[in-house]
Amino acid sequence: MSNWTPLAVLAVALAGALAVALLEQLVGGLRPAPIAILRRAAALLDEPLSAPHRPDAWLYHLAPPLLLAAAMLALATVPWAPGFRGIDLSTGAILFSAALAYVSPAVFMAGWGSGAPLAVLGGFRFLALMLAYAMPLAMVVTAVAAPAASLRPTAIVEAQDSVPMLVSQPLAFVLFVPAAMAVALLPPFDLAHASAELGGGALGHYSGVHAALVGLAQRVLVVAVAGMTVTLFLAGWHGPLLPPAVWMVGKTVAVATLLLWGARRVPRPPLDWLVAWTWKLAIPAALGVIVWGGLVTLLFYR
Amino acid sequence: MSDLATALVFWPAAVLMLLTGVYVFRTSSMARAGLLLLASLGIEGLIFLALASEFLGVLQVLMMSGEMVIMVFFMVMFMADPGGLMGMDMTHDKRRSAGVAVLIAVLLAAVAVLTDWPAAMVEGDGRSIEQIGFEVMGRSMFSFLFAGVTILFAMVGGIMLAQQGGRLGLPAPAGEPRDETERER
Repeated sequence: MSNWTPLAVLAVALAGALAVALLEQLVGGLRPAPIAILRRAAALLDEPLSAPHRPDAWLYHLAPPLLLAAAMLALATVPWAPGFRGIDLSTGAILFSAALAYVSPAVFMAGWGSGAPLAVLGGFRFLALMLAYAMPLAMVVTAVAAPAASLRPTAIVEAQDSVPMLVSQPLAFVLFVPAAMAVALLPPFDLAHASAELGGGALGHYSGVHAALVGLAQRVLVVAVAGMTVTLFLAGWHGPLLPPAVWMVGKTVAVATLLLWGARRVPRPPLDWLVAWTWKLAIPAALGVIVWGGLVTLLFYR
Repeated sequence: MSDLATALVFWPAAVLMLLTGVYVFRTSSMARAGLLLLASLGIEGLIFLALASEFLGVLQVLMMSGEMVIMVFFMVMFMADPGGLMGMDMTHDKRRSAGVAVLIAVLLAAVAVLTDWPAAMVEGDGRSIEQIGFEVMGRSMFSFLFAGVTILFAMVGGIMLAQQGGRLGLPAPAGEPRDETERER
């Protein structure tokens, strides 16, 4: 880690956010227009801030920076090439979960602070969903870390130089992807801010710099979860011929496209149905994934 | 981290942690109290990290977010006034609870000061994680399982008490359906 590392992470975040915005247009059947995206972002910065006159308005103002900080911290744990990563801790995979754990308080604060009924409702819907999804997310990370015998993301990538975890632990992947979509605020799990149901919900009242921060944070979250999906399941930067960073970026773009495509195609289920099945099916399955991960580790990785 | 960097993180973080901790009990809203407690305990995680206790720090930061979110959620389910609109007081039975709190604080401080802490450095790179794992799944397994099951019982019991009618299954006030099944009928 050098003095330039934070700047490098920031550059990855900004470039990644722009790429995700372009992908959103592509997946939506629009002609990608990078200049228009930048112009819209610049116009947001000029807008005046909306400020709710309520006792808890400070939560409303604190939520966008917290959301962005959580997204950036999650992104910083993703290794992009050997030696190129933001934070290299021996507990990096847990740090990723820990960073994402602050998305739900941030969304709740946004909803509660704005004090509007639908916004508060959106915040609580997201809390209910993330309470159910936090466990599968963390347990799956543990199961994938077991074969690597390390929670360090670079070590998890190196453990996949012959067989990607997607092959050895497919159920973990199946559980991880919806959880990742939920924590990245993507539809069909966008219960906090579902524009058709809640009129923007918890995040609907933001304008100006707030809205810009929230929009940036949402896209950085997509980059972070797509990058971590590649790191944990798709062998990270491993691949023939091309340099490692190219493989990593290519796979991340592919996963991000998949997430955004799914986000447009899958209908949004009702919250109680979603939460009920998460508790009844996903959490027991995640326990099964841990057992499976342990078996695979004992049989093939020792 | 160097000693100076550790001190630069530790002392401001400790002050901020205590301040937010005090404000948990000064505010009148459970939503604010829950989030302030999250801030306090999350900052405690940062202190662990500053003291090079990487695993505990990251785990603290992770778990506290989850736990405080659960707390915010439960208090809205259970409380009549989660937003603190009626000027709720966070403290009850003030004199006795203050006495107990001071006593426990003094005891804990005495333990912290009087214990002969080992001065050895923990070796880095995941060794400490492995050791914690063997500790939790070995010698300390019984206490961890006991705590886990106790918390589970407390949660189930809490939900039962919070049901309309409480644990005695009292009938709901007239005109209100008691639960989902009755509403359907």
